[in-house]
Amino acid sequence: MTLEVQNLHVRTEDREILHGVDLVVKKGETHALMGPNGSGKSTLANTLMGNPSYEVTEGRILLNGEDLTEADPDERARAGLFMAFQYPATIPGVSVANFLRMAMNAGREEPIKVKEFGALLGKNMELLKIDRAFTSRYLNEGFSGGEKKRAEILQLAMLQPEFAVLDETDSGLDIDALRIVAEGVNAMRGAERGFLIITHYTRILEYVKPDFVHILLDGRIVREGGSELADELEDKGYEFVREGVAASGA
Amino acid sequence: MAPEFVEDRRRAALEVYESQDVPTWRRSGFWTTSLRGLDLDALEPRRYDSLDSAIVRDHLGDEEHAALIVQQGANVVHCDVADERIIVMPLEEAVEKHADLVEEWFAKRLPYDEGKFPAGTAAFWTGGVFVYVPDNVRIEKPIQAVWLIEEPGTVQWAHSLVVVGENAECKLREYFLAPDFEGQALHAGAFELYARPGAQVHLAHYQDWGSGEVHDISVRRVEVQRDAHVKWVPIHLGGHLTKQTLDIITAEPGSDMRHTGMYFTERDEHLDLFTTDKHEAGHTTGDTVWKGALTGESRASYEGLIHIVPKAPEVDTYLQTHQMLLSPKAKGDAIPSLIVEVDNVKASHGGTVGELDPEQIFYMMTRGIPRAEAVRVLVEGYFEEVVMRLDDPGLEDLVRRRISEKLADAEDQVREFIGERAEAS
Repeated sequence: MTLEVQNLHVRTEDREILHGVDLVVKKGETHALMGPNGSGKSTLANTLMGNPSYEVTEGRILLNGEDLTEADPDERARAGLFMAFQYPATIPGVSVANFLRMAMNAGREEPIKVKEFGALLGKNMELLKIDRAFTSRYLNEGFSGGEKKRAEILQLAMLQPEFAVLDETDSGLDIDALRIVAEGVNAMRGAERGFLIITHYTRILEYVKPDFVHILLDGRIVREGGSELADELEDKGYEFVREGVAASGA
Repeated sequence: MAPEFVEDRRRAALEVYESQDVPTWRRSGFWTTSLRGLDLDALEPRRYDSLDSAIVRDHLGDEEHAALIVQQGANVVHCDVADERIIVMPLEEAVEKHADLVEEWFAKRLPYDEGKFPAGTAAFWTGGVFVYVPDNVRIEKPIQAVWLIEEPGTVQWAHSLVVVGENAECKLREYFLAPDFEGQALHAGAFELYARPGAQVHLAHYQDWGSGEVHDISVRRVEVQRDAHVKWVPIHLGGHLTKQTLDIITAEPGSDMRHTGMYFTERDEHLDLFTTDKHEAGHTTGDTVWKGALTGESRASYEGLIHIVPKAPEVDTYLQTHQMLLSPKAKGDAIPSLIVEVDNVKASHGGTVGELDPEQIFYMMTRGIPRAEAVRVLVEGYFEEVVMRLDDPGLEDLVRRRISEKLADAEDQVREFIGERAEAS
């Protein structure tokens, strides 16, 4: 059971951003994709989910062997893919609770029972230290940065996808919020789920230890390794990686 | 024979009506409201013996009311008053039975010479609605008035007069309804409401003239007196051509109003609204929000003015208007404006015309929600802010249901439009 990206080339408007990315995430694994600003991290996340603003010009996205490269975002979601957004959209007039119920029911034959939904929501809100009143607010309307990220992780916890992409979920979070979010993610890790954590910084990786680390630079994955690679990056910075790439003539 | 103050006004208005041509309203930009398509001479007032209307039943449901008055065509066909403390009757009857009371307020805010159609209404009105809630009387259940056009070829000259006494409280709804028919009709309406000092009024106007060629040319004015509060909710869910002037006047210190409007246009409907939030006295407050959505080849223009006259300091008022285009062939504008003739007031306004945000649709789809449902939820969510402000559960349900039905009708064109936009971006 895998999420597989093969030779992915992606462009927006008039510029190619990803120049052939290969990546395999197996269920049960947690991968970190790291890179500086502008390296193409968010492009990869958005392309995985089928954002129509990005065009795949070459390569494929496979989920459990099924080609999703041309699939609509809702089909991908129902196939088991999830993304926590860096900048989630505001949905006026729709409460957090109603939105969650709608999203859960979208992937089901029979709508979830009110009791079951309530119990699950209560449990996950406790996990993420979310206040009751939060669920009756309109999704992301007037939310602080931290509240938005928590709402994303709450959706992740409710929807229980097979593969979750976290797009810079750590950015803009203070240390307490980061710890809560990280604990939420850790609680969901397990043999039945794969994670791709996209981040600029190494901080979240102190709480969510990745099995694999990939470094994305200028639209290409230039280095790969275990969690020690994140430590190396922490010490030496992206410039060091860039110089290494230049020296090897890649 | 009606009293002199009524007959004199009819005569004077008739002169104005006969001396003026059918107007065309033009504004800067693309906007024109023309009645060229209306064959006025082919229309006539029609009288009916009794009420038998599925559409009235469908809209009113079985909610209990304090009073219900229904005018079909040219005459009132139903009037029952369950609450004996109030007066609700045809205006024709009220000008005779309660001449003094009516004369004090009748047309106080409705000059007969402000255009051909207001003059026509002043000259030709029949039937009519009169509502009087005496001082200190509090009515829980709604007072409902219905203006019904059952068949094409009808002209309805309409006049409603509402007086809510000092410290009185009431909820009033006026419905404007017609079944879907083929052919033309005209509703030329005048509405006036006076909220006496300390009164609390919850007023709704619900318009759905169906898919026939019903033209609605109306003037509605609400006067809010000292320390009175009026919540006014105009809802436009249908009408071939609508040209309306909606004014709410905070006339004395301490008066407060909250004005929440919405519209949903479809097919080739044409909606032209001009609202004024007029502050004639200092220490008055206002809050106006209008939201609309357009589908099909419809046209909608909303212009909202805040007008603060000289000698009205310490006014605090706000107006915002939003419009959402859901079809490539729909066209509209939403213009907030401001005339402030005094210092030391707080008045602000804002307006947007937009489309559904593709990022919102993408976001919802990544949660497994299909595109059509995402669009429906987003448009309903867009309206929800104003639906909540209706503060009237029966009406809220009706409006939600009708918006949902209209969106279902427009689903194909919305999908096509959103698809086009996504590819272009």
